[in-house]
Amino acid sequence: MTGHRPVSSSSLLHPSRAQQVGRVTLILLSLLFLLGFLILPVAVVFTQALSQGWKLYRDSICQAYVLFALRLTGLVASIAVPLNLVFGLAASWAITRFEFHGKSLLITFIDIPLSVSPVVAGMMYVEVFGLHGWLGPWLSEHNLHVIFAVPGIVLATVFVTFPFVARELIPFMQAQGSDEEVAAVVLGANGWNVFWRVTLPNIKWALLYGTILAASRSIGEFGAVSVVSGHIRGKTTTLPLQVEMLYNEYNFTAAFAAASLLTLAAVVTLGIKKALEVTTGLRRGNEKEEAKS
Amino acid sequence: MSIQIEHISKRYGSFTALADVSLTIGSGELVALLGPSGSGKTTLLRIIAGLESSDEGSILLHGEESTRHSASRRGIGFVFQHYALFRHMTIIENVAFGLRVQSRLLRPSRSIIRERVRELLHLVQLDSFAEMYPEQLSGGQRQRVALARALAVKPKVLLLDEPFSALDAKVRKELRDWLRRIHDDLHVTTVLVTHDQEEALEVADRVAILNLGKLEQTGTPESIYNNPASPFVYNFLGNVNLFHGRLLAELSFEERAGSTERSIDSAIGFVRPHELELSRNLPADRRAVVASVLRVHAAGPQIRLELSIAGSGRSVAAELSRKQFEQLALVPGDKVFVWPQYIRLFDDDRAMSLLLDQGAGI
Repeated sequence: MTGHRPVSSSSLLHPSRAQQVGRVTLILLSLLFLLGFLILPVAVVFTQALSQGWKLYRDSICQAYVLFALRLTGLVASIAVPLNLVFGLAASWAITRFEFHGKSLLITFIDIPLSVSPVVAGMMYVEVFGLHGWLGPWLSEHNLHVIFAVPGIVLATVFVTFPFVARELIPFMQAQGSDEEVAAVVLGANGWNVFWRVTLPNIKWALLYGTILAASRSIGEFGAVSVVSGHIRGKTTTLPLQVEMLYNEYNFTAAFAAASLLTLAAVVTLGIKKALEVTTGLRRGNEKEEAKS
Repeated sequence: MSIQIEHISKRYGSFTALADVSLTIGSGELVALLGPSGSGKTTLLRIIAGLESSDEGSILLHGEESTRHSASRRGIGFVFQHYALFRHMTIIENVAFGLRVQSRLLRPSRSIIRERVRELLHLVQLDSFAEMYPEQLSGGQRQRVALARALAVKPKVLLLDEPFSALDAKVRKELRDWLRRIHDDLHVTTVLVTHDQEEALEVADRVAILNLGKLEQTGTPESIYNNPASPFVYNFLGNVNLFHGRLLAELSFEERAGSTERSIDSAIGFVRPHELELSRNLPADRRAVVASVLRVHAAGPQIRLELSIAGSGRSVAAELSRKQFEQLALVPGDKVFVWPQYIRLFDDDRAMSLLLDQGAGI
């Protein structure tokens, strides 16, 4: 009777019945998807892990091999993450503060680990450092073991987590500009003072954020590490590899118990990440409020 | 401390930012580098500061060659257009920064730093803002903090890069006067970069006008305003003079055609809006053109009129005092006779200026 009602922003704020149905359907669909493909599997990990009781769960985790894998994973992460931190900072600094030839090339290179399959990354290292690789003969002459040893695992992890810190920092530092650093230099600060007193305080949250992402990835990395590790139990198995081995041996309870540790690590990093977003977001919000008043 | 700028040239690829610029700034002087954007004024300032290197030439600070000294060792205070305050530090920390980063040997004790910072905050009238963060301050307040921060290290030279251009007109005017008072108290050699001719003429002891990387003219505000050396300077110092030049070129052609003077026909003439005389009747002893009134802007101390010359249709701006305007009682559409009191002619090639007193002659 009234003809067509124009669709405007107000009609989105005061939806018609049909629009309401559509909205509910969309929300339900995405929730169902999340439930089916994310939450349920994660829940299964924990129920499977605990299916034979708490004692067996604890025993599976306290197996010497699992404990070793846990330690190795921690070791690899504690080497790879600081390396990435330093590299990420250096690269971001260079890219956002200097003009040089090959800058766009460097930016592209930083993204390579994200676009290349981790398996390929692992194979590249085997090709270079393996017994029959380019440096293989020289390495074995000097009794250095890279492939099928811990150094190879570290290298592969570093490669895969390479971009995380830099990718967080570059856009952030670009947006901030270098005005404050120039001001500090004119005021007589040396490079060290500029970095510690001006640059770092400004980028610390973005830096921490990128580091957390890198840490979480380096703990969970499977593909690249799998190729270079050689799966030597008690020597070169990280936690993800240990999970796979236990699973292949039909030791399901132990496999899920180990997997639950990885899941837990992921949940914890997500929690820290969220907490960071909330605190920094709040901080910024507060400052804006104060500035307005 | 004096600044000697000697034959400075700077190129960015094929673009020449500065071409053989030489200028000496005396100790305790306040000099404004004035020019449109792209004239090289900021580049020159950054070269003096050591933030940019010149391709040729040298900078002498107090007679001492300092081209090779890094920015951090030149003893310079620099104030940026967009403040560049340290956003994670309080105001007091910002101002103290330059003192705190000095090497252990030179660094004053904590109590001396605290005392000095307090003095500076008092100087810039921000005592009660000490514990706040830059984000909580207005633009004008932030720029005052930036100035205090620059002054904290007792710089021998203070460089200001368009310090007030990001502020609104009223604050800009206040800060301008305030800067002049501070300069009169401290007598720090100061270089102010600006594109605002009013700001330069009002604040500076001396103005250096740059155009396309070249120094056009230097002198006191008065001498520059009264004796512009080139059409560019004339044009840049007044607000609305380009069409006057064309009008009066035409006018001068017309009235010079019968005269015996040579080489005038190739010159450009300028008249400032307030130098135009208007009358409803043609005065007996003058030549004048007829124009019609297009628009009247009556807000403000001076009444601005837009006129259209009869015949050519060229539009011209004139300025009258309120009293004159009330006597004439002009409204849009009225016909009026127009003639210049003064005309300034520039020879096309040599940009030489001749001041003619037209008032008596025509």
